Amino acid sequence: MNGYSPLSYKTDLKPVWCPGCGDFGVLNSLYRALAELKFEPHDTVIVSGIGCSSRLPGYVESYGFNSLHGRGLPIATGVKLASPALKVIAVGGDGDGIAIGGNHFLHAARRNTDLTYIMMDNEIYGLTKGQAAPTTPAGDKTKSTTYGNPEAAVDPCALAISFGATWVGRGFSGDVKGTAELMKQAIAHKGFSFLNIVSPCVTWRGDDQHKEIRAKMKPLPADYDRTSRVASMAYVNESGVVTTGVLYEVEHPTLVDEMLDIRWRAQGESQPPTRKDLLNAFA
Amino acid sequence: MSETTFSIVGSGGDGAVAAGDILSMACARDGLHVIKTEAYGPQIRGGESSCTVRVSSSKIYAQSDSVDALIVFSWADFARFRSEILLSPDALVLHELDEKSPHEISSGGSRQVIAVPFNKLASKGKNILALGILAELFGLPIAAIRAAIAQRFAKKTQVVIDANLAAFDKGVAYCSELPKPKQQLEYVKSSPQLLMSGNEASAVAAIDAGCRFFAGYPITPSSEILHFLGEWLPRIGGSTLQTEDELAAIGAVIGGSFAGVKSMTATSGPGLSLMAEMLGLASIAEIPAVIVNVQRGGPSTGIPTKSEQSDLMHALYASHGDTPRVVIACNDVEDSYHATVDAFNIAEEFQLPVILLSDQSIAQRRETIAGESLEHQVIERRIACTTSSQLVAVQPESSGQPERSPYTRYRITDDGVSPMSVPGQPGGMYQTNGLEHDELGRPNSMYIMHERMNEKRFRKLDAIAKKYSKLFTRFGPQNAEIGILCWGSSTGPVREAIEQLNAEGIRVAAFVPKLLMPLPAIELEKFIASVDELLVLELSYSKQFYNYLRTQVDLPKNRTHVYARSGGSALRVSEVIEQVKLHAEVTA
Repeated sequence: MNGYSPLSYKTDLKPVWCPGCGDFGVLNSLYRALAELKFEPHDTVIVSGIGCSSRLPGYVESYGFNSLHGRGLPIATGVKLASPALKVIAVGGDGDGIAIGGNHFLHAARRNTDLTYIMMDNEIYGLTKGQAAPTTPAGDKTKSTTYGNPEAAVDPCALAISFGATWVGRGFSGDVKGTAELMKQAIAHKGFSFLNIVSPCVTWRGDDQHKEIRAKMKPLPADYDRTSRVASMAYVNESGVVTTGVLYEVEHPTLVDEMLDIRWRAQGESQPPTRKDLLNAFA
Repeated sequence: MSETTFSIVGSGGDGAVAAGDILSMACARDGLHVIKTEAYGPQIRGGESSCTVRVSSSKIYAQSDSVDALIVFSWADFARFRSEILLSPDALVLHELDEKSPHEISSGGSRQVIAVPFNKLASKGKNILALGILAELFGLPIAAIRAAIAQRFAKKTQVVIDANLAAFDKGVAYCSELPKPKQQLEYVKSSPQLLMSGNEASAVAAIDAGCRFFAGYPITPSSEILHFLGEWLPRIGGSTLQTEDELAAIGAVIGGSFAGVKSMTATSGPGLSLMAEMLGLASIAEIPAVIVNVQRGGPSTGIPTKSEQSDLMHALYASHGDTPRVVIACNDVEDSYHATVDAFNIAEEFQLPVILLSDQSIAQRRETIAGESLEHQVIERRIACTTSSQLVAVQPESSGQPERSPYTRYRITDDGVSPMSVPGQPGGMYQTNGLEHDELGRPNSMYIMHERMNEKRFRKLDAIAKKYSKLFTRFGPQNAEIGILCWGSSTGPVREAIEQLNAEGIRVAAFVPKLLMPLPAIELEKFIASVDELLVLELSYSKQFYNYLRTQVDLPKNRTHVYARSGGSALRVSEVIEQVKLHAEVTA
């Protein structure tokens, strides 16, 4: 590849997204972040689940894996553990990651798996044409909630922090530059980083979404302590505002660190076991 | 005599299983052939347990139908196993002195039931004392057993070792108060054998095949694979991940394999049910994956600790859509080794999911194996030769034709296999997915492309059927009167039954496909044509094997018989003999 420009990460596959979809902004932020990080496409693996946003890997020059609904994280975990030198990014939607794949979100975060998880949060099921998601505000009328959504919405960032993610941020797809900056930090973080990007669905949540969210956007205060889990709780489950920035960041040993440590402890100072040693376990 | 079978039954702390372990290990070291099985009550800890050890001077293929010597520390514990432990007519029963034998177990004919004051003689080491009695009465290798006792307690103090050896010697000495047995085991000490379970054999095979990533979720009766690889993979530079569920386990395996590392998971029926969707993903994305499924009683939670052959249809057809996959079965512990390497070889060469069907009876019994038999050729994945000159982590010899640019991950080929690139490899980037796709891996929903890709993926099964057309076992004479068709763990009892029946002059043969999908159909048809009557034997109430065979080959209705029953107890040799004789008489 000649140089690292955002455009050089673009494949010639045309996105299936609707005009005005927030995911275009996310994709542009990612191109920018990868270029600024100077990531080699062949060392980069982007794994997704199923949904509108999960089509993203096909649009990025890299090794891509558009997998099953809700199952991007276990696959990404396998890629990283098998080949730790690879840069692994998991992407997907809010329904994919919190409804069907919620269990994997918990455990990928809890293990501090060395990967970045980017969630494109549009508060709706777009691909299946407009049903309520776990992030859809209570009371909203959708295709599947004719009388208004009877369930309370969750904030993906609140989940990530309580699940044990060591880096949690929130961005807005309309802010391509700011989101690219957050992506860079998330990807540079050692361990499980979770970036929730509010990415409006103009088709199922209305054309005004971009405008409304932009009006609610607010950066974190300058003196905010991102290492404090308690402080972060003031900026989750918000109403009327969308606070963007790095909500939480701490350092802990990562899953790959632990696996390498286990190898070290299993091998000790001794020579690696031979096949004879292996069979001797049964002699 | 050339063989004998012992059972020891007691409560949790009685050490019945420990005694069986020591006995099995000692016999294996003296070159004897051993099959050891265990059974437990439902309690997590404590409760009743039994251990049965069959010892023979020649190769054996199944646990014995009946027991020649039974040690009972508690009749209450024995009650739980009453239907599972059948006594031979001339069995010797030694039971705790304080306990009154149940009515139906009493001396008579050539059977002897004798009370022994186990508790009084050795309150702490009564299991070892019992071992001393068995060793002396039946002519078992005393020196090897003493060595095995010392090794078993090697991590304890010398006092403990000495106390156990003393208990053993006391048992040997106590035999002077017992009637002399009619016969003793006759054997010649030969080279030591390994003692291994089916699960352990699969785990060792995975290591030998080059597996360096294992992901699994604990489930009976397959967890020993997770345990063994959790200990061993880190020692040889690999990783083992205990996942949150079986969906994640196979997901991680698919991810690991996509990243170029041979990867495996192991589970049982309930886990395989959860993995169904991922099987389809591995199949359409053409990613090698090895799934060991250790069958237990089903459906649902079923009988977790007992064997059954009722996951066959599930393994063959699980997952929606037209989903090529390979299913291999193993027939015994040694075969678990070979079948696991075959599973890796086929998965890696043909880039698809391979399910290895084992079952509880093979996976959890310990059996002697000659160490030198654990050798099997390993085949590597075909890696794409991408245009870039800076290949990373790629074997140049397997590169073949250079790929045209852009790299065509799903290039249509004669055998359906498209050389695969590995993340990290320059010039090899592509997107894989569970969506139907074109040769480049791009999503495509056109009928023509779907048809072509289905053809490509299914062509791999034709190539596998051709290459592995000999992946079956056949035993017994040519042109037999009765031809048995069976698979997996039924093979052992069938083999022993056939040896006995042919000795009696009834010509019986068996055909056992190890490759179940794709079936070695040509050889199977030859076998069907060569026998007078067919007998399909399986442990599945709904006759899954029989029904599957009917979809693959012509089973002549007027000369095909089926014996299918639920699992929960292993197929007995006598059961097979009875079934054969039922139909042999008709033709005679």
